[in-house]
Amino acid sequence: MSEERRSVSISGSGRLGGGEYGRVAVSGSGRVDGDLTAEELRISGSGRVSGRTEAGQITISGSGKFGGAVRADEMRVSGSAKIEGPVEAKEFKSSGHFHAEGDIAAEYFKSSGSFRVGGDVEADIFKASGGFDIEGLLSADKVEIRLAGRCTAREIGGERIHVERPESLGATLLGGLAKMLTGGGTAELRTTQIEGDEIHLENTIADVVRGTRVEIGPGCRIGSVEYTETLKVHDDAEVERQQKV
Amino acid sequence: MDEEKLISKKEVLEKMGISYGQLYRWKRKGLIPEIWFVHRSTFTGQETFFPRDKIIERIERIKAMKDEHPLDDLAELITTHVNAKLRVALSKLERLGWLDDDLLRTCCPAEASDEAVSIWQAFVLGVLSRLRRSARDEEIDLVRRTLEGERGGGLLDRVSENGLNLYLLRKRVASGGISAQISLVALTEEGAVFDPAIEVVATVDLSTVLQRIKLDLARSDETASGEGNARRESDEREVKR
Repeated sequence: MSEERRSVSISGSGRLGGGEYGRVAVSGSGRVDGDLTAEELRISGSGRVSGRTEAGQITISGSGKFGGAVRADEMRVSGSAKIEGPVEAKEFKSSGHFHAEGDIAAEYFKSSGSFRVGGDVEADIFKASGGFDIEGLLSADKVEIRLAGRCTAREIGGERIHVERPESLGATLLGGLAKMLTGGGTAELRTTQIEGDEIHLENTIADVVRGTRVEIGPGCRIGSVEYTETLKVHDDAEVERQQKV
Repeated sequence: MDEEKLISKKEVLEKMGISYGQLYRWKRKGLIPEIWFVHRSTFTGQETFFPRDKIIERIERIKAMKDEHPLDDLAELITTHVNAKLRVALSKLERLGWLDDDLLRTCCPAEASDEAVSIWQAFVLGVLSRLRRSARDEEIDLVRRTLEGERGGGLLDRVSENGLNLYLLRKRVASGGISAQISLVALTEEGAVFDPAIEVVATVDLSTVLQRIKLDLARSDETASGEGNARRESDEREVKR
């Protein structure tokens, strides 16, 4: 219908004005001044968008910086990314490191690296297997955390919340390496409050846990547990108060 | 807000028969406004409370509508966003009892011949129809002008976010044997207080008017897809309410 959008590739060092593009590829060092709309944005070198970014697909395997909000159908980070505005994506996957200063909203969120979020993380499905620091609320229908580093969130809420510490990890070489890389000796989750329908926790330190069916696994230290149907507490867990409501 | 009765999250779940998962999901989908979540410290730790009447009414509505509409659409229909492009069929306004030829002519002269009016016109009609009995013609015009004056300021969004009341007031001033009555129109949040000499002729809860329109629009989707039967069904549901 409309005219063909221009595709741009920066492989040396270059600057680009904001606007609408087809495919934008940065393999050297590139900078977009202003807002960018693109069908695809691929950064394999070092790239920065000063304004807001809207794209069908964003792939960062180098280093990407976004000065404004980011909106994408699919966003993948395997290098490092810093996002100063809020992020909205259908699918957000990271195996590298990213830092978002605002909120993140995604239908599907998966991180196997490490990340920091200054706001809330909201998703239908949230999966994390590295370390993270969420300053706000983590909320998802399904929260699945495989502890491999220090994980913190102010609050966690959802339908199914599953936190586990993979058994073999502590003992293996890979586990040791993961510990070194994530900087913390401990693979644990710290939060003030967890609320959900099905909750399974391991190595979790929380003030309050509220849920329908709750399982407090090994390595947990919980201030108080309020449950409506069932509660199981592992021998290696500490629960100060528990109450069926 | 502080004056409102609060209800704890636990009580909401129990009373409404919903789960944490649902509540968090509805919050994520924007069906329950962030500002309704009131965090308070209690002896069992941090707890969340809600404005009681608002949350109960909202959850009832979500429960009643969620099976027929995807959650993402529901947000459009019952919360903050007002899609200005939506049009409301006159037949629907007639069913609501809002259709009055005189009012229609005053508030949307150009569109009176059409089959449908904009959501804004429907809203103004809804408000004016509630004043029809108690207000004088010039007061109705005053209300209409007040609303029109606020149209550009995103009045509909403000109404659906915070809830606003429209007050039609009269005050008699007497001095030196001459007395006169003046009419005033005020748009404020709930609980406005007026001096005792003011007569509150009518109070219109604007969010109720807007919600009626949106609810009815929601139903119209059913009628469009399911034809005659669905129409009858939705009418019955309306009677039951």
